[in-house]
Amino acid sequence: MVTTRRSFVGASLSLGATLALPNIARGASPKVVVVGGGFGGGTAAKYVKRFMPQAEVTLVERDRQFVTCPFSNYVIGGLIKDIKQITHGYDKIAKRGVKVVHDEAVGVDPSARKVTLKGGSVLDYDRLVLAPGIDFNYEGLPGYSEAAAEVMPHAWKAGPQTLLLRKQLEAMPDGGTVIIVAPANPFRCPPGPYERAGMIAWYLKNNKPKSKILIFDPKETFSKQALFFESYEILYPGMIQWIGGKQGGKVTRVDPKAMTVEAEFGEEKGNVINVIPPQRAGKIAQLAGVTDDKGWCPIKPESMESAKVPGIYVVGDACIAGAMPKSGTAANSQARNAAAALVASLEGKPAPEPSYANTCYSIVAEGYGFSVTGVYAATPEGIKEIAGGVSKAKAPPKDRDLEAAYAFDWYRGIVHDALG
Amino acid sequence: MRTQRTVLSGAALATLVLVAPAQAAPSAEAIARNCVVCHGPKEAGQLEIPKLANYPARKMVEMLTGFRDGQKEATIMNRIAKAFTDEQIQALAAHFAAQ
Repeated sequence: MVTTRRSFVGASLSLGATLALPNIARGASPKVVVVGGGFGGGTAAKYVKRFMPQAEVTLVERDRQFVTCPFSNYVIGGLIKDIKQITHGYDKIAKRGVKVVHDEAVGVDPSARKVTLKGGSVLDYDRLVLAPGIDFNYEGLPGYSEAAAEVMPHAWKAGPQTLLLRKQLEAMPDGGTVIIVAPANPFRCPPGPYERAGMIAWYLKNNKPKSKILIFDPKETFSKQALFFESYEILYPGMIQWIGGKQGGKVTRVDPKAMTVEAEFGEEKGNVINVIPPQRAGKIAQLAGVTDDKGWCPIKPESMESAKVPGIYVVGDACIAGAMPKSGTAANSQARNAAAALVASLEGKPAPEPSYANTCYSIVAEGYGFSVTGVYAATPEGIKEIAGGVSKAKAPPKDRDLEAAYAFDWYRGIVHDALG
Repeated sequence: MRTQRTVLSGAALATLVLVAPAQAAPSAEAIARNCVVCHGPKEAGQLEIPKLANYPARKMVEMLTGFRDGQKEATIMNRIAKAFTDEQIQALAAHFAAQ
């Protein structure tokens, strides 16, 4: 095990860092550009600056504010009353010495080491971190489009879409039907659609108790499935119906005019239809040449450096990180380890051994939460889980209550770690 | 034969030199950075999850070992603590105690 790991590190060092990339002379100010200001990009920028204060770190982010996807289900369900509570600026990270540029990266030239921005400026880099998150693959679902999302919101990028879905729930009649179209793997936030079903049920139970929720799903299994089913049964008996792959839950077409969803199992009409479309890495990853034929970014497990293009590190939902899910915590952990590896490569050293971790809390009612967690290691075969698992089934209510409270602490912690 | 041996040991030596800085396990610092995401640094304002800065080392070893080995109940830490060896737990405890 140790021998394998050592030769593995040795090989990647000689190929990746030593030969392809010249080291930066001691005392120089290397340029590091980070594209994307979510949990992954924010963390990467902050930690590169922390590990190497003389580095010139530029964070490129299109939006002035970051509305987090984590906790946006609680805005939809009404557990969080104001979206401002999950909206964060970049002032604190700027005070730490990260140069924040609000623009959009529209091109990367890996051989010249330049990033082109929509506004026309060009940024030179010694190392680049791409944390672009996801783009929607609209053509993967007939009938769905950016325009259709104004009628059938995805709410899978938080902000106006979150509020649109909330507004539609408020407007629907008691006794109506909410349809959630869940995507196939892989996708951002594996427990998200099922947490959302719980949160919508929480709103409906308290406001429109005759309503029902249908989840159409192409999958046979999903994250924390037993815990979600247990919670639905305890909290919302008879309200949520899950139609999985075996029962014909795969959606083949949506019709925003008729407000229908066509699945293998049949057609269903909804008052509110939440379509979570198929996804791929954010477009800039494709333009930089770091995506594979499925649209995601393979990385070196020991450093998060692209397996395709040296000098570019990919973190967060856009990358393929073995056993790690596409979650905010995973992005944050990947970014810290990538920052350490990136700084080491600038100093001509091998990447320090990474320690990856993930924790995802789901809250399905006020005071009812549970979690999945994992600790991961880099191996020659990829990033592997070495410990972890989900909350206990049939745990006492005090445990569910405690985990719901922990979720809020987790949120404070990750926002602070990424942007604070 | 002798020449071959010299060549071989030379190659082995080169490999050793090349990989010498690599560690076989993550440092306490690398692990600890994951901990503070939930536990928070002092300024994050955690309400329920215990803060780890200045946490007494002896107590942390007792807690983490207990979580790992199933002697202490927890909602989540029993799943996480299984990732760590005795040495890593000692190093983590020393790391946080010194903050």
